[in-house]
Amino acid sequence: METTVTSKSFTVPIGPQHPALKEPGHFQFTVDGEVVTQAYVRLGYAHRGIEKAAESRNWVQDLYLLERVCGICSHIHAFAYCLAVEQLAHVEAPPRAEAIRVLVAELERIHSHFLWMGVSAHEAGFDTLFMYSWRDREKVMDILEGLTGNRVNYSANLLGGVKFDIDATQAKAIREGLDFLEERAGHYLQVLSKDAMFLQRTRGIGVMTRTEAEVLGAVGPTARASFVPRDMRLTAPYSAYRQFPVQMVLDDRGDLEARFEVRVHELFESIRLIREILNNLPSGELSVRLPRRIPAGEAMVRLEAPRGEVFYYIKSNGTDKPERLKVRTPTICNLNSVIRLAVGHQLADVPMILAGIDPCFSCNDRMVTLTDAHNEGERLMTWPQLRQHGIDFYKQVGK
Amino acid sequence: MNNEEILSLAEQIVKSWNWTTEVSRSQPNQLDVKVLKLEELVPIVVGLRVKRLGYLSAIVGLDLGSAADQFEILYYFCEKNSAIVLRVHTPRVNASLPSLCEIIPSAEVFERELREMFGIDIVGLKTIEHLYLPEDWPDGVFPMLKDTQLPALPVQGEKV
Repeated sequence: METTVTSKSFTVPIGPQHPALKEPGHFQFTVDGEVVTQAYVRLGYAHRGIEKAAESRNWVQDLYLLERVCGICSHIHAFAYCLAVEQLAHVEAPPRAEAIRVLVAELERIHSHFLWMGVSAHEAGFDTLFMYSWRDREKVMDILEGLTGNRVNYSANLLGGVKFDIDATQAKAIREGLDFLEERAGHYLQVLSKDAMFLQRTRGIGVMTRTEAEVLGAVGPTARASFVPRDMRLTAPYSAYRQFPVQMVLDDRGDLEARFEVRVHELFESIRLIREILNNLPSGELSVRLPRRIPAGEAMVRLEAPRGEVFYYIKSNGTDKPERLKVRTPTICNLNSVIRLAVGHQLADVPMILAGIDPCFSCNDRMVTLTDAHNEGERLMTWPQLRQHGIDFYKQVGK
Repeated sequence: MNNEEILSLAEQIVKSWNWTTEVSRSQPNQLDVKVLKLEELVPIVVGLRVKRLGYLSAIVGLDLGSAADQFEILYYFCEKNSAIVLRVHTPRVNASLPSLCEIIPSAEVFERELREMFGIDIVGLKTIEHLYLPEDWPDGVFPMLKDTQLPALPVQGEKV
């Protein structure tokens, strides 16, 4: 006897607005029951045409424009831009300036990883961790404010150097802040690797093998959690990372748990590096002069942002404005990989998988449409409802 | 492999086949390969992939302006501290490039971006919807072209 099973699938659009994270993106998931069978991504809700705008501004104006590419990792964009322009002008920033740039970059990494930890914990329904980690993040924000005057968009860079110095009082404040953050990071590592409820949401979820990570082009902590040894600070050392090397944090499990642990271990590494820089801060000038017109040529730099490799290409035609400027951020690479990972997973895991790469454009939604093909009706869900669905689903599983 | 070995192996691969290329070193850690025949781009990429030389870090599109009437496309393959750059030229009118998605799935987003920002037809690209530009973006307007003037932003307080 022959039986035919006919089934129809639902399409779940997620996006573009999300109240918890900063930037919008749209995802569309086709589900068969609870299992995701197809995934599609649509970006551009935050596309501001910065690459085009950069062509009509001069070299100095672009520094301020590019620092606003990202609200979380603003420093790394200005850092990358400065390095590329200095490369074109055949100028090197003084050693003290390079060390301060790296120090701010590492403080930014700490702030970004703490922020991400909170957001992902929230998506898993672990709001206690969300509140605590964001409270602790205030400490690193205070340090950055004390150092640069700003909590975000620190504006630490100049073409040819940095704007501020670090004195003994500031160094003391940083050291004290780091002691606190180190203790807290240790505590969170315990929570993330021991809490049974949380592990249920992370262990074995969203597994990406090393080959997948390489083929799909993952970068940063997402790649390192799949044992891809790719960290620009180490594989292609730039600026003061040549004098102050970091240790690469790798994990071979490739699941969400590994992505959490890699990032927390990176916190320790950043803290260690900042202390080392403070103890061995080179003396000397803070900046050198750069010409108003930059010699014609091409420059490409790759830096390690908190989320992975950021790529800058700049072409100069010898005038006071760039001819072409290209920015490739890490999220576009990771998104491409994670979107394929979602296939085969429960709909309930989607929020966690998306949050797991620390998407910088950041996802999701006020409004989720569940198209019910069987009843030819539409069910509207909000992102908080989908998040709640994930939490309830796992509560059921746990019973 | 160290940087020098990576670059010399890449140079060897590119030169040992009967491909029409111009190879140069613009910077110590960069190998520039000018691919003169468009149909040879895919085989060269396969050659690099087979030896696992670099991952596709980014594809950069350049509009060389109306005088040159050409686009230059740069494919950055990076490994460690070195970069292998494949440089391809295509005329601005009816610009077309082969897709790399069959060999490198992660090329999709870069190719979709080239398509919508420069109007380059990517032969073999399966997903052709807009990636960054809005759905109601006018047809035939490609923002990254040098002669595309975007409307000025409204000044604060001014009526739109």
